[in-house]
Amino acid sequence: MRHLQRPDWAPETIDVERPSVARMYDYYLGGSHNFAVDRATARAMVAVVPQAPLMAQANRAFLRRAVQFLTDAGIRQFLDIGSGIPTVGNVHEIAQRHAPDSRVVYVDVDPVAVAHSREILAGNDRTAVIQEDLRHPERILTHPDIRAMLDFSQPMAVLVVAVLHFVPDDDRPAEVLRTLRAALAPGSYLVLSQASDDGRGEAERAEAEEVYRRTDNPLWIRSRAELTGFFDGFELVEPGVVWVPQWRPETPESAEDAEQAVFLGGVGRLGG
Amino acid sequence: MGKPADGRPCAGVFARAWAKAVSGTSYLPMTHAQLEVLLQRLTDLLAEALRAEPLDLRVGHKVADELVAAHIVSAEALGRTVEVIQLRLVRDLDLVADDIEDRMARLLGAVATGYARALRDRTLDEQESIRRAAMTARAEAEQALRASEARFRHQATHDPLTDLPNRTLFAERLAAAVDASAGSGRRVGLCFLDLDRFKRVNDSFGHQIGDRALVAAARRLRRAVEPHLVARLGGDAFVVLVERSTGTGDVVAVAEAALAALSEPVVVDGHDVTVTASVGIVERRVAGTSPDDLMRAAGSTLHWAKSAGGAGWALYDAERDGREQARQELCAAIPAGLERGEFFLDYQPLTSLHDGSLLGVEALVRWRHPRLGVLRPDKFIGLAEETGLIVPLGGWVLAEACREAVGWTSTSGEPPYVSVNLAVRQVRRPGLVQEVRALLRRTGLPPNRLQLEITESTMMTTSEEPVRALRALADLGIRIAIDDFGTGYSNLAYLRDLPVTELKVAGEFVRGLRTPEARADERILASLVSLAHALDLTVTAEGVETGGQAERLRAIGCDAGQGWHFGRPASPDHILARIR
Repeated sequence: MRHLQRPDWAPETIDVERPSVARMYDYYLGGSHNFAVDRATARAMVAVVPQAPLMAQANRAFLRRAVQFLTDAGIRQFLDIGSGIPTVGNVHEIAQRHAPDSRVVYVDVDPVAVAHSREILAGNDRTAVIQEDLRHPERILTHPDIRAMLDFSQPMAVLVVAVLHFVPDDDRPAEVLRTLRAALAPGSYLVLSQASDDGRGEAERAEAEEVYRRTDNPLWIRSRAELTGFFDGFELVEPGVVWVPQWRPETPESAEDAEQAVFLGGVGRLGG
Repeated sequence: MGKPADGRPCAGVFARAWAKAVSGTSYLPMTHAQLEVLLQRLTDLLAEALRAEPLDLRVGHKVADELVAAHIVSAEALGRTVEVIQLRLVRDLDLVADDIEDRMARLLGAVATGYARALRDRTLDEQESIRRAAMTARAEAEQALRASEARFRHQATHDPLTDLPNRTLFAERLAAAVDASAGSGRRVGLCFLDLDRFKRVNDSFGHQIGDRALVAAARRLRRAVEPHLVARLGGDAFVVLVERSTGTGDVVAVAEAALAALSEPVVVDGHDVTVTASVGIVERRVAGTSPDDLMRAAGSTLHWAKSAGGAGWALYDAERDGREQARQELCAAIPAGLERGEFFLDYQPLTSLHDGSLLGVEALVRWRHPRLGVLRPDKFIGLAEETGLIVPLGGWVLAEACREAVGWTSTSGEPPYVSVNLAVRQVRRPGLVQEVRALLRRTGLPPNRLQLEITESTMMTTSEEPVRALRALADLGIRIAIDDFGTGYSNLAYLRDLPVTELKVAGEFVRGLRTPEARADERILASLVSLAHALDLTVTAEGVETGGQAERLRAIGCDAGQGWHFGRPASPDHILARIR
């Protein structure tokens, strides 16, 4: 990938003429934190996968329910990797509404998303934002801002929601997750969701991948078995890895047509 | 669902229908139940407004504001909201009023207006906020770029091991120092510093420790010579730039501070690493000098400090440098001189002490330099030997001597042999034997009329090659003489092993014969002669200047003599005249 070839000391360029997956996601959710190029690319995606906005909303709702679940389970520390544009319904909003002492660190590789997050979170001293790449978990884990905000001797939740489909196998996502797991205290949680083609046509997948090739983050679709494999070392909480609307739905009808959801998700707990 | 006590029937039914209508139009950051609670409250507001007198359109705006604030933010959401209110609100809530349709139309208009306004504001706010974030990110990226450029500049101008300025930065600063103040009478100084025998540190402790010792040395140097610029030129060579010097003393003080800082041993990994250094010091007026001049002078001076044994400094000496430079230049001109035929040979007689006949002549090279006139070998042979130019030069001498000697015919007996000096490098060169054989064949000179003079040091080698080469030459019938015998190691072993035919005894011993009391020299000479004769070698005494010396040598039994007494080096014509 482009930014992996860049030497460490060379700064990245900010090119708002390139679509950003974070801002496209914001557009799907109904936000206006996006530029013309993001909207054009998102609309191209909708032309291929008309339910894309609904999928994004379903995924966001999954995040909300998962954070709610974790807050209920007593978790007070959250590490959200690939947090994107902090539009409505952020992790800290959900968590701090129920448990004001919750601490949240947002991590994203997109410098605009990070700058925006900093602006939104200014004044909230229980949150921090850092710019880092999921593919360098060791840098995330040793980042001073994270170390200052989160206590790794206590359980925490690591959220990698709607991100893994931007990490190709060559970048060893399983190894990344293992590295993160090794840093966690027992009783910690891992929340994952990612685009999947389980039971879906080859053509649709190919077209969706084609659209995302215009961005810095091409799409990498995975099966349910692959996503389940990413929970290695964690015990999946009920109902396991499912289409995101099926994960602890608030009402039975909200889980209907779940297989249209495209995103598979699940929550795992680190035993011990 | 029953009617609540306040008489508002089935508001819950309406709110649920409304919630269903707007869900999915955008992401709603709340549970469905929370959405219903919100919409229930808004329903109550709307119902109250429809009943109240006068109709308060601000309620419509407020409802719209709350919808947008709750992120119900799409055109679809507005359309469906208008639709569901128009279709169901009056019916579901059993609202009764004379002008209900009129009131409803006006209230819906207010909702739509308020919604459009609130959504537009929210959209603009979000656009502004993302735009600002992009600008911030870009500013940060540009700052990072500048920082990385500064870092890149640092990397390009500093040595990665010691973090001292490197050659590039030093050259810049030196050029600036010489340039900025040229002609102003300002002075500048350089200390060119090199660690003595640092290779040994690497060899005995390994490069890692060597590197760390270098880092430690660099740190000390920097501290010792502050505020002057110290740069690492590479390897174990450093240079200190003393700008605005007031005189030699300033720069000497800097050199001494540097040497003192380095004199303490460095402990690296438990090893005591001791290094000393040599410093070449140049200090002069800026006017009329250049960075290249300064560096070259400092380099030569460092060389002097080194050859004086190291662990100290040397000060630039223009006269000495001039002499050395002249020698270097002379040496560099040898190849061109050969090509232009500027070299020629003189010959000095080797005379029999028994009958005064001319046995042979020693070929001595001369250089008719276009500018310096005729130069004797002591002016250029030393450097030619150092630089290896002796090989082509010596080859030319050998060939020329053979070419000239072959034409000498004697009316009375054997014409004299020609004796040519062979330098160590020539003897060690593979192919010497073939070269000489080809030369004899080409010129037609009989082998017994060629003598090759080698020095003792030629034999001070562990290699078998030179010995084998000399045997092969001797086997051809060529005479082999040891030149300057008695001044070197005088190792007698090779006299046994080598096909030597003659010893040339150094002039030192002969000079002693001038004074009657110098009995030791005479005894040494006598012993040498009897030793040589016992080994079947002839002896030629060099440096014979007087008849008295010649007489004594003859009495001792010496075979031949060479020196002013018998004839100075002269042109081949003189030799020819003598043998006719």
